[in-house]
Amino acid sequence: MSHAKYNVINTHVHNIDGVAKVTGRATYTFDVKLPGMLYGKILRSPHAHAKIKNIDTSAAMALPGVKIVVTGKDTLGVKQGIWRRYEELCDEQVLPLEKVRYIGEPVAAVAAITEEIAEAALDLIEVDYEVLPAVYEPLEAIKKEAPTIHEGVERNVNVTRHIEWGDVDEAFEEADYIREDWFKCSGQAHMCMETRAAVSSFTPDGKLTCWASTQSAYYTQGLLAGVLGLREGDVRVLAPYVGGGFGGKFELDAAMFTSAVMSMKLFKPVKVCFTREEDFIASKRRTPMFYYVRTGIKKDGTFCARESRMFSNGGAYTGMGATALYLSGFFHSFPYKWRGYRYDGYRVYTNTLPSTSMRGFGAPQAMFCSEQQIDWICADLGLDPFEVRRKNGHTEGYEVPGQAFIQSCGLEQCINEIEKWVKSKGKLPANRGIGISSCGFMSGGIFNWFDSPYSFSSAVVTINVDGTVELHVGCQDIGQGSNTTMAIIAAETLGVKVEDIRVHSGDTAHCPADLGAWGSRQTLMAGNAVKMACEDAKKQLLEFAYAEMGINIVYDLDIKDRWAHIVARPERGLPYVDLVKKALRAKDGQRIMGRGYYTPHRKGMISPAYSYMMQAVDAEIDPETGKIKIHEVMTAHDCGQPINQLGLIGQLEGAASMALGYAYLEDMPMEDGKLMNPNLVDYKVIKAPEMPEAGIIEIDTFEPEGPYGAKEAGEGLTNPTAAALGNAIYNAMGIQMKELPITPERVLKALREKKEQEAQK
Amino acid sequence: MINDFHYLKPASLKEALAMYAEHDDCKVICGGQSLLIVMRQGMVAPEYLLDIKHVKELSYIKFDEKDGLRIGATTTHREIEKSDIIAKKYPVLVAMEEKLASIQTRNWGTIGGNLAHADPAGDPGPVLIALNAEIKFGNSGGEKLVPLDEFFVDYFETQMEQGDLVLEVHVPAPEPKFGCAYQKFNLLDSDMGIVAAAASVTLNADGTCKDVRIVLGNAGPIPLRVTKAEDLLKGKKLDDALFAEAGTIASEECMPVADIHASEEHRRHVLGVLTKRMLKKAFEQAQTAA
Repeated sequence: MSHAKYNVINTHVHNIDGVAKVTGRATYTFDVKLPGMLYGKILRSPHAHAKIKNIDTSAAMALPGVKIVVTGKDTLGVKQGIWRRYEELCDEQVLPLEKVRYIGEPVAAVAAITEEIAEAALDLIEVDYEVLPAVYEPLEAIKKEAPTIHEGVERNVNVTRHIEWGDVDEAFEEADYIREDWFKCSGQAHMCMETRAAVSSFTPDGKLTCWASTQSAYYTQGLLAGVLGLREGDVRVLAPYVGGGFGGKFELDAAMFTSAVMSMKLFKPVKVCFTREEDFIASKRRTPMFYYVRTGIKKDGTFCARESRMFSNGGAYTGMGATALYLSGFFHSFPYKWRGYRYDGYRVYTNTLPSTSMRGFGAPQAMFCSEQQIDWICADLGLDPFEVRRKNGHTEGYEVPGQAFIQSCGLEQCINEIEKWVKSKGKLPANRGIGISSCGFMSGGIFNWFDSPYSFSSAVVTINVDGTVELHVGCQDIGQGSNTTMAIIAAETLGVKVEDIRVHSGDTAHCPADLGAWGSRQTLMAGNAVKMACEDAKKQLLEFAYAEMGINIVYDLDIKDRWAHIVARPERGLPYVDLVKKALRAKDGQRIMGRGYYTPHRKGMISPAYSYMMQAVDAEIDPETGKIKIHEVMTAHDCGQPINQLGLIGQLEGAASMALGYAYLEDMPMEDGKLMNPNLVDYKVIKAPEMPEAGIIEIDTFEPEGPYGAKEAGEGLTNPTAAALGNAIYNAMGIQMKELPITPERVLKALREKKEQEAQK
Repeated sequence: MINDFHYLKPASLKEALAMYAEHDDCKVICGGQSLLIVMRQGMVAPEYLLDIKHVKELSYIKFDEKDGLRIGATTTHREIEKSDIIAKKYPVLVAMEEKLASIQTRNWGTIGGNLAHADPAGDPGPVLIALNAEIKFGNSGGEKLVPLDEFFVDYFETQMEQGDLVLEVHVPAPEPKFGCAYQKFNLLDSDMGIVAAAASVTLNADGTCKDVRIVLGNAGPIPLRVTKAEDLLKGKKLDDALFAEAGTIASEECMPVADIHASEEHRRHVLGVLTKRMLKKAFEQAQTAA
């Protein structure tokens, strides 16, 4: 593809917030301290399912230093949810009035002059529960005789999703070989460095300011206004720095809600920060999924049909789980062309910690099943896994029937590059294998379940007299580096340097609305808005340049590297700063201001653009202990035009560590709904010594819908890894891993079963 | 949340022992890498904390060819890890320390604190028992020296009584034809072992096994010697078949407890594997040792 030569795009740009962060000067919500601020703590349910008969707060109120104790009765009792377009999916009262549905669910909150007093007060609140029968697994909860978790919800089925195209049954009939498998995919904690935290300050003028650790200041604003009975405009949400989100921080959480409720009653600022344990037990998780996968294929490797059923453990509430249900089913078809495809997903309520979106949004689970089964089918039929993937893979211009239109696709090159890489490794030692997995991911979601009347992304750019630039965006930097990405796009478009740009984000009062950081949407959507805003501003500047330079209007003008000039004769021009000053004078002192926005139109149901990748994982198994050692992860990746090389590497390595953790370490075991490892000793997150080399091969494509050809880069990289590790183990040991995480014990069990089967033969 | 406590900071060993004798509800801290965790969980809430971090008399590493190695109780893990003489004479100790938690923990945690804490999953216990170490502890009234494998009594319990401080660890000079190896099985390199095994082998001049010690970590209430497995090997000419058999015996002899990280069955199995492997490794070292 032919790209224009860029000055800033695709270089190594350090995170513009980096210095503030590493010197400890960045103010996270956790650091916010206001005069007269009180500290809040939340009392949580010890029961998985129980009626709240009575809550006696008198003893807690009497404790010196306690300023308020609130329960559901002190709230408007609004049932809220982020799928606010659908009333039936707004099912969560953050402080429930009638019953609790999972262990850890908030039942009351206290604000006191110190955290210690607030915590001591929790012990003095007396809750009279009537314990109800509970159910923890979706395949149990869906049975007729299972306890009802939400009144009126039959068989505890929260949401269903049917996706179908082609004549599936006919396509299966054409298949020479059909394979069926069941898989079990586990949950995963988001494990943000910063736990959920909020500081709310309600003032007598009827306005609320809330500092929140959120992935979307706009969603938080809208949701808070809804549950508090305020106008959206009277709620200002600030999220200057956020210590990670990974899909877990764009719903309304108990820190935001309880701090706001208490602040409104007291007219004092209230801070609520979750402990790490609270973050584990009560801040939602990756959705555990059971997958049944049936795939039909011709002898020559042509895919015919796939039919899958998925049952997910929804936990107690909907959250973002409804989206995960759809996306899992959609990406389960990826990145292949199926003549017939049918998916039925069932999200089932249980009395456990609710599940929601998490990096990959249902796709890592879907790929774990799909990509392993494809390798097993290839082995069953003696086909080459690279060839089969190439043969059936998406290509540019392909339409996923009724769902998506693929404008750019580098899948084939990804497969070719990884094939070369794997072959270059030669023969591996015993007990060592390389597994592959390919997938794709979206660049932002289209379906507007939040029912936002605003455009999906917007940006305002203002040029100061000295040429420095104020860029106001609603997109949220949660550590992934979107502020830097936006600064790069702005600098490139305006023809200035990154250090000329100051990015303002995370403030609903000063920044234009944007749906925020989820679904890999910001580079494409907010990037387009920023590009449009900067083009708008630049056009205004160049109008003055035409007049100033007195040139023939057939010439094109541009600004590059702070130099406004004739494109055909770059030496003829004037300094950008002089141009800005002149333009100001000419405009009667009004500053140059550009506006931009983006809303997808006619781009199908899911996303305006898709990234593609193939990943290889090189792993070694200790056949006696089952221990897994990961040697290397290599990814060939088509994210369109990379915006920031450094940012891309950071995303790749972060995704690899998170996805490997999901594949073989991280788990959320529960006993009767109680999480057994809510701490960082027992919950295993990859640390530096375990982190393998993670390399990247960039595949050059150009996405017409993206700013400068860019599409998503970061979330999708979480999708292929568990499957690639599973395939590596299959190639090394000949065992099929159908359950996550792939623990040493499960490896040994599979090895034993394989031995027994061989002995029987 | 950590309870409020009185902080005692003795300047000398004598003062430390005197203070400890005076205060009943008192815990010793010397880095707090173990204590602060249980205090934060509210499991321990002492009225007094006696901080012996500054008692310099107890921080030393001494080696003598005849007497062996003496490590003062407040010596940090990192000092042991970085000691040239220990690297030369007892490389297994350095290898063990290198994988004990994180550098931050090793910089602050001490050998005496680790042993006094008596967590059966701790790393130094099994290795030091395999090295035939002794431990010296005492109070204002006097001192006691006991073999380390008699020191541990139960989960988080030792022979020490209230008022006793760990003073020193003594490791005898290595015998000729001696080898010692340790490995833990875990998911993350820096974690405590889900299970662990240390083994030492001393060979006679004729190559037969003079002495052998097998000590398992997190395989019971204390760092656990599996004597039946040891007895199998003593006096014999060692080989792979014997190591495998010893592993099988060890996996039967140990008493691990299941938790979310591994079942009892898996623990027993891996303890057997590690026993076999550490015996072989120690044996090979002993063969090549002077």
